[in-house]
Amino acid sequence: MTTLEAEQAIRALAGARQLQDPYLKRWLAREQAERVAMLDAARKLRLRTGQLAVALDLLEEIAVREGAGIDSILSRENLQRLIESKGPAPARASAFIAELRAIRFPRLGATLRRLSAEISALALPSGVNVVLPKDLNSDELVIRISVRSPDEFDRLMTMLAEKRDGLARLVRMLGGDDEL
Amino acid sequence: MNFELDEIFIEEDSRASALARRVIEALSPRVPIRFVADARAATLADRNAADPFGKGKRRMVIMRRRGAFLMGCPAASARYACCGYLVLALASNCPMDCSYCFLQDYLADNPGFQVYSNYADAFAELGRLAAGSPERQFRVGTGEFADSLAFDSITGVAREFVEFFAAHRNLTLELKTKTDEIDGLLSIEPRGATMVSWTVSPERVYRTSERRTAPPSARLRAARCVLEAGYRVAFHLDPIIAYPGAEDDYPRLAEEILDTVAPEKISFVSMGSLRMTPALRTAARRRFPDDPMLLGEDILCPDGRYRAFTPLRLRLYRQIADRFSRAGAPVQTYLCMEPASVHRRIFAAEAPTPADARERLCCAG
Ligand code: SF4
Repeated sequence: MTTLEAEQAIRALAGARQLQDPYLKRWLAREQAERVAMLDAARKLRLRTGQLAVALDLLEEIAVREGAGIDSILSRENLQRLIESKGPAPARASAFIAELRAIRFPRLGATLRRLSAEISALALPSGVNVVLPKDLNSDELVIRISVRSPDEFDRLMTMLAEKRDGLARLVRMLGGDDEL
Repeated sequence: MNFELDEIFIEEDSRASALARRVIEALSPRVPIRFVADARAATLADRNAADPFGKGKRRMVIMRRRGAFLMGCPAASARYACCGYLVLALASNCPMDCSYCFLQDYLADNPGFQVYSNYADAFAELGRLAAGSPERQFRVGTGEFADSLAFDSITGVAREFVEFFAAHRNLTLELKTKTDEIDGLLSIEPRGATMVSWTVSPERVYRTSERRTAPPSARLRAARCVLEAGYRVAFHLDPIIAYPGAEDDYPRLAEEILDTVAPEKISFVSMGSLRMTPALRTAARRRFPDDPMLLGEDILCPDGRYRAFTPLRLRLYRQIADRFSRAGAPVQTYLCMEPASVHRRIFAAEAPTPADARERLCCAG
């Protein structure tokens, strides 16, 4: 694909998706290999307007963070698998955005996975929910108890008391405790 | 430091002021000077410029300050564990250019580099403050809307304030800087009433994000010099940026500080993670799209600012605080713009009230 062909194809796709002008300008301002790689992904995943904008934002940020080109980011195996696979486009597009987010926020993702694993290992009874702060944006752990009778309340409080150490550990993890 | 000024505007009212004369003597004819009746228009952003904020930095405006010089710290809020700091606005904006600087949003509409010719009026305000509550200690800083020393080799204003504070026992002056412009301070006797504080960052942050500032090693050398000249010294590790490798770099920076200044000689260390309102984040990224330090794993916090996600940020605070706590002598350490719960987690103690913090930070060191 020549530079001109790429530009025409990008403009056509952006027009069809009503992509905002600043995004189109940023897309066109990239190197030819990056522009084409993004175009390929957008076409094969049939990215919608919002997804296209989010993907561009994330890819640009990853490119700066890692000092890599967008084309080389998109050539990674986990992303290529989603771009080239045959399943329904909406599901692949969502998974693609989620994968980009995971690359953009690697330590947040790893910490969330660790906390979720701790919560699962607690095997809390139904009626007790542990809610992590959104994106770990605070150090507050919410423990929600739903009961419909005094007996149920007593039972859950007893079970919760047995989980005290595990819950305390979660609270410490939210505070970035290194020993964990 | 090396100024990059395109032009200087001087208000007619200020033409004969000592400050204007010093600036003209130092910079004319190298920088074009214009005299205007009212310089307020010259402080406004040039919306047609590619970088209105950057252009504002290069336009020095010497004018009278119309409002009060003394005010509460703009970061103070009931949400945070606060240090009870008062701000003395002697200038607005800064000739250096850090990618994360909050002034990019705070002064977006009037980025002209204002220096106030009637700064001596501040002495009356400070005198009233000192006399109004003689039993209380006040910490007053000039480094909130500008760097305290960046232009001092030209204006020579710091010296007058150091002398004024030396004569008022319940006032402490904090000169906050990222420069090594200390020559003007070395021949004055501060009598314990002035502390010079340095904002310090790891070399990596300096290289990517702190344009025209002095290298961190030069800042530390300058700290040692002013300490030997009788000043108190303090350090701000702010912003702390949670980039990959920060876990090694910040404790090492703490080590370098302690190697330069003995712990018992450090008045305090403040720590604050990089925090950005959405507007600041947009402005900073627009001006510095290639700065990886602006692209950390930052998430929107309940106070409406982006910060590194909580466990990552708190782990860094703890590592730095641990290093200072093992210094061999207590170093007053506090957090800036963090809730009391974070303070409790890091220091295993209740956050002091602003009044307590003010007393402690004025008297320490
Ligand atoms: S030195 Fe301070 S005031 Fe100046 S640009 Fe940097 S952060 Fe802003």
